Amino acid sequence: MAFSRRGLLAAAAAAPLLMRVEDALAQGIQPKRGGTLNSIVNPEPPVLHVGVNNQAPTLIVGGKIFQGLLRYDAKLNPMPELAKRWEVSPDGLEYTFHLQENVKFHDGQPMTADDVVFSIMKFHMEVSPRARGVFARIKEGVAVNPTTAKFTLSAPFEPFLLMFDVTVSAIVPKHLFDGQDYRQAPAVSKPIGTGPFRFVEWQRGNFIRLERFADYWKPGQPYLDAIIYRVVPDSQSRRLALESGQVQLTQSNDIEPFDVPQMRARPNLEVRTEGWEYFGPLMWMEFNHRVKPLDDVRVRRALTMAVNRDFIAQRLWFGIGKPATGPFHSATRFYDGTAKSAAFNVEEAKKLLDAAGLKPNGQGVRFAIKHMSLPYGEVFTRLGEFLRQSFRQVGVELQLESVDVGTWAQRTAAWEFDTTINYLYQYGDPTLGVERSYVSTNIKKILFSNVAGYSNPKVDELFTQGRDSADPKVRQTAFSAVQKILVEEAPLLWLLEMSFPSIYDKKLQNVITSGSGIHACFDDVFLA
Amino acid sequence: MKDFWRNFSRNRGAVVGLVVLLAVLILAVLAPVLYPGSPWDMAGMPFAPPGEDGMLLGTDSLGRDVAAGIAHGARVSLLVGAVSTVAALAIGVSLGAIAGYLGGIADDLVMRFTEFFQTIPSFVLAILLVAIFTPSIASIVFAIAVVSWPPVARVVRAEFLSLRSREFVQASEVLGKSRLSIVIGDILPNALSPIVVLSSLMVASAILLESALSFLGLGDPNMMSWGFLIGSGRSVIRMAWWMSVFPGVAIFLTVLSLNLVGEGLSDALNPRLARNRGGKP
Amino acid sequence: MELSKLPGYLLGRLVKAAIVILAIVVCNFFLIHAAPGDPASIIAGQSGAADARFLEQLRAQFGLDQPLYVQLWIYLKGVLTLDLGFSHRQQVAVASLLWDRLPATLLLTGAAFVFALSVGVAMGALAALRVGTWGDSIITVLALTFYATPLFWVGLMLVLLFSVTLEWLPSFGMASVGVDLHGIDVVLDVAKHLLLPALTLGLFYVAVYARLSRATMLEVADQDFVKTARAKGVPEGRILRRHILRNALLPIITFAGIQAGQLIGGSILVETVFAWPGIGRLAFEALLARDYQVLMGVFFCTSVMVVLFNLITDLLYAVVDPRVEVSA
Repeated sequence: MAFSRRGLLAAAAAAPLLMRVEDALAQGIQPKRGGTLNSIVNPEPPVLHVGVNNQAPTLIVGGKIFQGLLRYDAKLNPMPELAKRWEVSPDGLEYTFHLQENVKFHDGQPMTADDVVFSIMKFHMEVSPRARGVFARIKEGVAVNPTTAKFTLSAPFEPFLLMFDVTVSAIVPKHLFDGQDYRQAPAVSKPIGTGPFRFVEWQRGNFIRLERFADYWKPGQPYLDAIIYRVVPDSQSRRLALESGQVQLTQSNDIEPFDVPQMRARPNLEVRTEGWEYFGPLMWMEFNHRVKPLDDVRVRRALTMAVNRDFIAQRLWFGIGKPATGPFHSATRFYDGTAKSAAFNVEEAKKLLDAAGLKPNGQGVRFAIKHMSLPYGEVFTRLGEFLRQSFRQVGVELQLESVDVGTWAQRTAAWEFDTTINYLYQYGDPTLGVERSYVSTNIKKILFSNVAGYSNPKVDELFTQGRDSADPKVRQTAFSAVQKILVEEAPLLWLLEMSFPSIYDKKLQNVITSGSGIHACFDDVFLA
Repeated sequence: MKDFWRNFSRNRGAVVGLVVLLAVLILAVLAPVLYPGSPWDMAGMPFAPPGEDGMLLGTDSLGRDVAAGIAHGARVSLLVGAVSTVAALAIGVSLGAIAGYLGGIADDLVMRFTEFFQTIPSFVLAILLVAIFTPSIASIVFAIAVVSWPPVARVVRAEFLSLRSREFVQASEVLGKSRLSIVIGDILPNALSPIVVLSSLMVASAILLESALSFLGLGDPNMMSWGFLIGSGRSVIRMAWWMSVFPGVAIFLTVLSLNLVGEGLSDALNPRLARNRGGKP
Repeated sequence: MELSKLPGYLLGRLVKAAIVILAIVVCNFFLIHAAPGDPASIIAGQSGAADARFLEQLRAQFGLDQPLYVQLWIYLKGVLTLDLGFSHRQQVAVASLLWDRLPATLLLTGAAFVFALSVGVAMGALAALRVGTWGDSIITVLALTFYATPLFWVGLMLVLLFSVTLEWLPSFGMASVGVDLHGIDVVLDVAKHLLLPALTLGLFYVAVYARLSRATMLEVADQDFVKTARAKGVPEGRILRRHILRNALLPIITFAGIQAGQLIGGSILVETVFAWPGIGRLAFEALLARDYQVLMGVFFCTSVMVVLFNLITDLLYAVVDPRVEVSA
């Protein structure tokens, strides 16, 4: 398994500063100072403050302005960022972070443990629903001295160390927020962080300009003079801008999947799909278990067998992303590769449906269900059409409903659907991002909960065990068991481990160096 | 009837149009025979160019047969064209009849109402209606009907205005016939020719409108239509030109033939006007 | 027209226009409320994190907890001050979105209008002059062809020919991205981008105007004053210029003025095909995201433009043609 428990628990003592720059040197590429990186941001973010907005465009741009205590490699081992080392007490309750020296905010004020404690205990607790869920477990957070912050949990929480990426808990300046409405404070529209690039200018609808922060805490870094994110709303224009070299980097959904094969063929461009491991987006078909015959495990298994997931990954997403194998994204910790959902097999599927007593009628239809397409653009429309034809092969009629984003969100949250498509981030750990979709305590009329209505006491128990144990071995046992049950019961139809292409000029170095890829602060990126 | 045919066939364009239109109709009727199964079936390899992999007009990004899509799409396009025209006629004829026959305040009100609908940009309104009532064959027909009735109302009103003072109408009134039976029994049959001519043109523009809506992704997701085919081919036009070209030709031929037939009908029904036949505002 | 009557006429037209616009605004409001899904749940859905507290905060923020008539009143007051609502998806006021995009659309529709009118009238006049000949037939067939071809498809075919195959012209956008251009180069760059979309949008109306002007000119040519002129031995060319064209032009221009508003509707399709950054493109983006506030804004904006165009046409007509009766 990919996960290294040593990395998570005892990194403190050994943690060598993983200087990727030295890796680059070893390869004979000398970092070069200077140059401006032109990139694209789409859609235009509402604000640039990563705390108050969690949407991808904000995180990508804001990730250059702000930093978290830690970063994570592709296997989700924590690496130092604002914390140079950290210790976890043997009982798993006390987390001590030792901060980098000489860290300054862009307004010149030093960053201290006070800012860290404020960010975690107050700022993110208030503005971020996601951080709130975990940080509520902190009993006490104190600044031991200006470079040491200590957090004490009320009960062990093994995935706690995964919560310190810039995309979850960026460190914000206490002096600019304390005592104000955090969402309305001036520092939201003029973001001040500790990152290698400071915010300079934003012409709405046109571009965002970040410039090198001269007082950045790593001497000699960052290498780039500036980063400009251009707002280009049209996908074909974005593609042209990349092809013609007007921008050197695109990310996320900038380039449509169907355009990626041609980008791969260009000798001057590099296409990477790594760098989403920390988020682990998994896409599935949601079954509403309250709708007959979707309550029948045989039917769900048969439908699973009716869908060729390879086709989806290869033909619809043009090889961006991998076929899903089960409820866990393969980059998520405790993923168990031996638990695999039923393979594509039309004949088996028909037999199962026969066994479930669903015989085809005169038109060859066993039963009809509705499918609410996810209104996120063309590729999802194609997906709906593909699923309809796949199901028809086993005698199940899928009637597509075309809805808008609002209706989709409302009806999914209100359980008013037969089937639909959904994708969720797993945030690296089953407790953080998988549990919510399967446990019966989370059957709620809220988006991103267990809207399918799947309920199995054994699964509940195993997720609880995995959550409450401080011992990764115990957690692994519990989560392996849960994956085995889930692939048998097929509460959802897992389709695709999603990824998003980062495409850049080959002159650009060190772009994807961690599990959060393009969201990194880019202090080591340079134009060779 | 004989006169009608003679006048109609004098217009060569109209005859050609009729032949093409019949061909499209036959294609629509025979679609399930020519291409059994669903036009959504992934029949071949994706992006097969025309002629390859046994596909006459190539395949799309999922390997669906473009030719099958066009054949089945003919059914949807003609159906939407016909049904929405009937619906628009129902609205337009009723309102036009009320305005033209009753006159006075009723006329004024109806005409203001009609003017309002002619003022607002019809295509934008159609988009709005379909988007809000979620795309389905019913909402598309509804939206097309809502934006295309005003010309009918105007034409019918004008006809009724001139017909209501005719002797045969007055005779019926003296005989004590009810207003409704006068309108339906006496006036309407005499106002039919311009309505018939207008209808053929309305079917044509309804087909265009449906294809435009589908192109924007507002088609019925369970119905294969020409506009959908073009819309799904747009983003991959550099890779697969055939996905957009052939369905467009189908729309063009159908709309053209309907226009030609409309002109032929106009010639046949109003032989006096045939020579100076002009624009259709 | 007597100039003394003009203010009254003007006032009447303005009142009428205002009523139409008010009706559109009320229509808009009820359409918003017919739309499924409330904005709060949309944003909650998009931000990827939805707890009940977050939803409550959003609802209160957008006034969605108020009764319907209060919301209508707020909306009407807003429109009066040109506040067309807020695009929660783009986090910008709808009015400012529209304002940013309007120049591009006006440029496109203006260019298409001029192109369609000049080419259409020329074709129509030519056909009328040679009525019954091969030239007439060719022009009639050509007009019919333009008329029967879907706008968006013409656009795609032009892209296929001029951009993909021949690589002569850019296939999308309004200007080259990220290139530093100055002075005349900027104009040329935009003109290059404008050519295909304006052509596409204009072709349909070329057909309309060609057919219209042919018919109008034939009608005028039949009238007594032309016959008189001919009987007097006035040269044909002069009859055409001084008598026929002059008298046929007025109704054509009037009709064109009314149609100009409808051009904006057509620009949705053309801007979508060519990624032209105008309000049509904005409408398409809003459509994909089902951003109803923006859609309503586009509907309102285009309606107002149509009303304005009609008003201007009416006025011009009244000023230019003394025979037009002025009654509001």
